[in-house]
Amino acid sequence: MMERLAYLWPEIAVFATTCIVMVLGLSRSLAVRKATALVSGLGLLVALYLAITTTPGRVGAGLVDPAHGQSFLPTMVPFAKCLICIVALILLPLLAGTVDRAEEARIASGRGVFNPLRSNRAEFYSFFLFSVTGLLLVASADDLIWLFLALELTSLPTYVMVAISSSRHRAQEAGVKYFFLGALGAAMFLYGFALLYGATGTTNLNKIYDIFTASGISTLGMLGLLITLFGLFFKIAAVPMHFYTADVYQGAAPGVSAMLAFIPKTAGFLAILLIVGTVGWRFGPDGSGTSLPEPIRITLWVVAALTMTIGNTLAVMQSSTKRMLAYSSIAHSGYMLVGVIAGPGDASFSKSGIAAVLFYLLAYGVMNVGCFAALAAIERKPKAGEDEAREIDHVDDLRGICRSHPVAGWTMVICALSLLGLPPLLGFFGKLPLFTSAVSAGEIPLVIVLGLNSAIAAFYYLRLMALPLLEEAHPRAEATEDAPFAARRIAGVVSAGGVVLLAVLAGQLMTQSEIAGRYMPQYKPAAAVESSQPSLMDALQAVPGVTGGRQ
Amino acid sequence: MLTSDSLLTLGAATAAKAPIIAGDPLALLIPAMPILGVIICTLCGIFGVRNKLPAFATVLCLAVSFAVTAKLFMGHDGGVSIATGFEWMSLAWGEGQGQRLVADFSLYLDSLTILWMLFVTGLATLIALYASEYMSHDVGLGYCRFFAAFNLFVFSMACLVMGDNMLLLFLGWEGVGLCSYLLIGYFYKKPSAVAAAKKAFIMNRIGDVGLILGVMLTFVHFGSIEYREIFAACQPYIDLAKAGKFNEIPAIVQLIPILLAVGAFGKSAQLPLYVWLPDAMEGPTPVSALIHAATMVTAGVYLVARTYPLFLLSEYALPIVAWTGALTALVAATIGMAQFDIKRIMAYSTVSQLGYMFAGLGVLTSTGAAFHVVTHAFFKALLFLSCGAIMHGFAGQLDLRKLSGVGFMKGWGVVGLGMFVGCMNLAGFPFTAGYFSKDMILAEAFVTPGMAPIGWILLLTAGMTAYYTFRVFFRVVVGPMHYEPGDELHHAEDDSHGHGHGHHDAPAADAAHASDAAHGHSHTHDDHAHHEHGHGAHFHPHAPGWAINTVLATLSVLSIAAAGLYFVKSPYAGGHAHGGAVPGMVERSSAAFETPFSHHGAGGAGGESHDTIKEGGHEGADGKAPTHAAAGAPSFVPTAIAKAHGAEAHAGSFFGYDPHKAMYYVSGVVGFVGIFIAFILHYAGRRTAATARADALLPAVGPLAGWAQNKWYVDEFYDFLIRKPLWFFSNVFYIFDKLVIDGLVRLVGGIPRFIGAMVRPTQSGELHGYAAGMAAGVAVLLFLVFILTMR
Repeated sequence: MMERLAYLWPEIAVFATTCIVMVLGLSRSLAVRKATALVSGLGLLVALYLAITTTPGRVGAGLVDPAHGQSFLPTMVPFAKCLICIVALILLPLLAGTVDRAEEARIASGRGVFNPLRSNRAEFYSFFLFSVTGLLLVASADDLIWLFLALELTSLPTYVMVAISSSRHRAQEAGVKYFFLGALGAAMFLYGFALLYGATGTTNLNKIYDIFTASGISTLGMLGLLITLFGLFFKIAAVPMHFYTADVYQGAAPGVSAMLAFIPKTAGFLAILLIVGTVGWRFGPDGSGTSLPEPIRITLWVVAALTMTIGNTLAVMQSSTKRMLAYSSIAHSGYMLVGVIAGPGDASFSKSGIAAVLFYLLAYGVMNVGCFAALAAIERKPKAGEDEAREIDHVDDLRGICRSHPVAGWTMVICALSLLGLPPLLGFFGKLPLFTSAVSAGEIPLVIVLGLNSAIAAFYYLRLMALPLLEEAHPRAEATEDAPFAARRIAGVVSAGGVVLLAVLAGQLMTQSEIAGRYMPQYKPAAAVESSQPSLMDALQAVPGVTGGRQ
Repeated sequence: MLTSDSLLTLGAATAAKAPIIAGDPLALLIPAMPILGVIICTLCGIFGVRNKLPAFATVLCLAVSFAVTAKLFMGHDGGVSIATGFEWMSLAWGEGQGQRLVADFSLYLDSLTILWMLFVTGLATLIALYASEYMSHDVGLGYCRFFAAFNLFVFSMACLVMGDNMLLLFLGWEGVGLCSYLLIGYFYKKPSAVAAAKKAFIMNRIGDVGLILGVMLTFVHFGSIEYREIFAACQPYIDLAKAGKFNEIPAIVQLIPILLAVGAFGKSAQLPLYVWLPDAMEGPTPVSALIHAATMVTAGVYLVARTYPLFLLSEYALPIVAWTGALTALVAATIGMAQFDIKRIMAYSTVSQLGYMFAGLGVLTSTGAAFHVVTHAFFKALLFLSCGAIMHGFAGQLDLRKLSGVGFMKGWGVVGLGMFVGCMNLAGFPFTAGYFSKDMILAEAFVTPGMAPIGWILLLTAGMTAYYTFRVFFRVVVGPMHYEPGDELHHAEDDSHGHGHGHHDAPAADAAHASDAAHGHSHTHDDHAHHEHGHGAHFHPHAPGWAINTVLATLSVLSIAAAGLYFVKSPYAGGHAHGGAVPGMVERSSAAFETPFSHHGAGGAGGESHDTIKEGGHEGADGKAPTHAAAGAPSFVPTAIAKAHGAEAHAGSFFGYDPHKAMYYVSGVVGFVGIFIAFILHYAGRRTAATARADALLPAVGPLAGWAQNKWYVDEFYDFLIRKPLWFFSNVFYIFDKLVIDGLVRLVGGIPRFIGAMVRPTQSGELHGYAAGMAAGVAVLLFLVFILTMR
């Protein structure tokens, strides 16, 4: 168990920061309270540094230290952790001012004193970091139980964050909906995990792979895999588990919505890659192919096609920007599933779907934050009877903001174009390998669906581009003003700048994600071989009755 | 030991055998400095600099480029080297031949490149200095915009000329086109300038289609677009061409030069694509001088010269080039004779002189063409800048009927002198630079078999050139002093960023000037004694300042000095190439091609040894011309030329004389006659600016003069032939588009909305509905998978 610590340093750093932040946020001193975000950022920076330096199996030379990491995607861990820390760092400034705004204003005006019971700041930031910790743990999971706990650690804080992100009724409703449906999703993949355990007798992913390779996939195992996948589809908001997305994104504050579009989605995709990796891309019509087993392939295929299409077609209909972005988030999950279907190919960047998914997660994380940042940076002045300014949401509010709010406007323009996949921007370099890997995997019909969907998506992304840039300000826009949080605009600028800058560095990123996307099922980490030490599950097995159902 | 092959040396041969010699990396500074200039000017624009900083930064940057070019020239040994910049494009889709497209940002340094860059950077520096004063009315954002585009132009030109592959050439080609568009349309609030800019851009696109197809075919056939490899790859074909076996050369290869020539005709304003260049005079005069006279329009000549080995592969390419050039020269000269706007006359003369250069290329004297490019660059820039100074000083007045005796007015001496030097050169007055360079082309036209008609056309054109050049000189520069200001004064209410030329330092008087012009007052110099008008203000010509005068003087000296190039020895080993330094440089480049005939002239062969065109050990220095003249066999003539006259390998003659010698006298006389006619018709006995004796002749030529003045109605003809049908079809297609295509698009576009509308009810917002939907969805999908995978 101890050797695991060697690659858990980023998680440990984030967790330690979480504990500090939880205390800092409750301080009576305003300065200390305000430092919570800063400390969170420092913690994430440290985690990023640790992810780059201390995680074995470092990306650089493409060499993997055999002693660490889960087995079949050993090089994915450091890349995934880096991308999580980077996007989390961009997300963090966007969260500024989401909670406690009225409360702090009340204190500042001298109408009240600080009351820890009424303050949400500590919870809010520490929950964010908890979620990030969970996400980091998902990346390094090698066991179903670990995976389950990590996934839930990722999700549970987000339920609360949605509910407290705004004082409005809608946020609470969204939080409750998200929680109940999330529980349903969790129940589903837990059921799938249980079936997998039932079919193989182990919770270790490597061992499951061995068993599947040695004795084939039993019907029970296949059912477990499928149900697990459906449960994980909730995390990535894929059809048919997508229903919650629009309501929740719309109800939550933009910063939290941006987080929801990245953190659970990344967790879901990493988990899907791990689960699908236990069977491997070694099936095909003649038994020696390079695709997933037929039932899994068909499931993913149908879900990917439906997700893209339903996401995009519903996005076209929206007049609420946040709902539009929510459906776009659904559609992007569909795109990335194409990469999962394509599989590792010959491990070159243009043919590796896994590398494409990893690259796209980073690209999507960066450009998606920008769109929400543009929304968060502008707010409508409170009307009579309202005590709180509200962020803009209706697409008409975006008209002409390039002139009235240039930073937010241009952020929206650049990020929308990138989400569309316009060539010089990051989104294009993200989408391209999805196409090429699927083509080389022979999934031509799916590529056609993907292409058609990209065209449909242009419809609403171009609206997001044209309204701020080309249109005159809407009459209602007079009532808008810059949100009093420079951090939100910084998040936007960083994100829009990242979209441009990372596109310049795309070659380097491609190399890194190509290395990260290596699928090495034959490779046995020392840890897996020598794990004679009783794991938690083995210990449970020793207790009569606990695992009695297993034969 | 000489083989017959060595008679004909192409850059290709040298390039094929020589390993890549790394060029001086310093050369990269030549394109880099103008880019720095672009950045500086842009920053100036952003920070709202309102002084002449952009101009002087530009001058400095370009001067550095020029200095680097000069240094390269000094240290150049005549060989080919490649200065590698960075990897620009490298695409591979297989291992085989032609499955790898490499285009690096690398510079191909040979004597042709250096020759071109010498005058491009040199003139650009001088003209930037001139523009610093000329554009001073626009100090501010417009000034920054002007100089940013100016720098970008020089950068593009450097890419065009120095690139070691056709893609970089294409980048530069489009870059100069863009800059030309931006600068012609500099006064973007003036509709005629905008129209001219669009016209230039669109006409150039037509040529560009040819160029890009040529480049593509080159890649398709030769598998590379790097000159080095193309020249090596076309060597076998050259051998075939040498043997006259054109039918063994694939048609696709023979098509390449013709397509490239179309591109060159567009950029260099040749028939039938020349109509944009005269209109391009709407741009500021420094632009006309640099881009539309000296440098950009010679890009076509450069393209042909650079890819000369390819042009030798086609039976028809060079004759096409020659005939197009000659006809353009003639047509443009006829139009030039009838115009009244002096800048337009210069524009038509540019078209005409470019025709000379193409004719030169076509009659196998790339050296003559290149020499003419260089001399023309100097004297035409000088002429344009002098015209610009006049325009600047006389509030936009360019009509030669409204200006007279400018050269003798106070403060205008340098301008008058500049006009004189420029006109002498353009007219080909004996012993000027223009005389020598034009001579080479004329002589070679008579030498090359089958090309004598071209020689006659060019000779006639030379006379006309002398006439219309000195028509301007005798009307505008000398004669009784008289002027009317133009209408481009400062209008207080006109904010079209100060496109006025008048007294900059007396804004209060400007409004009065404007009303002056509106009343159409004319001021003869005689009543220059300040008799007061009712308005109490008076127009004074605005004599050029130090910057303009310095540049004009420098260019005058350079234009005269260019003649010396004919006499100095070739800078490279071997010494005494025929025609001096410029041919010496050209002969070491890919443009090197001399007909064997040039040695056959009666007495000329002995002395004029083309030693520099041999590769390897320069045997020519000792092995004199007879060595290869006697070989006799090398009858490489593009067969079209040879067949046409059946004159196998024998020099043409000019009434039995050696054309090289005879032309010295003939062209001198022709030029003199032209000048004399101009003197009689436009100077002798002229009392006013408006009329001259020539007017009396107008009835004699009948409607011809009117037609020529209306540019032979070519624009109207194009309008009728191309634009009208296009309008018609565009209207038809518009209706089709509206009804059919739009309908289909709307239908297709409606599908996503339809699907969305179908799915939308599922988003009810109700928790239990969602939960049920999820459960049902999972069940349905699992069932589907079960059905699909059941065997």
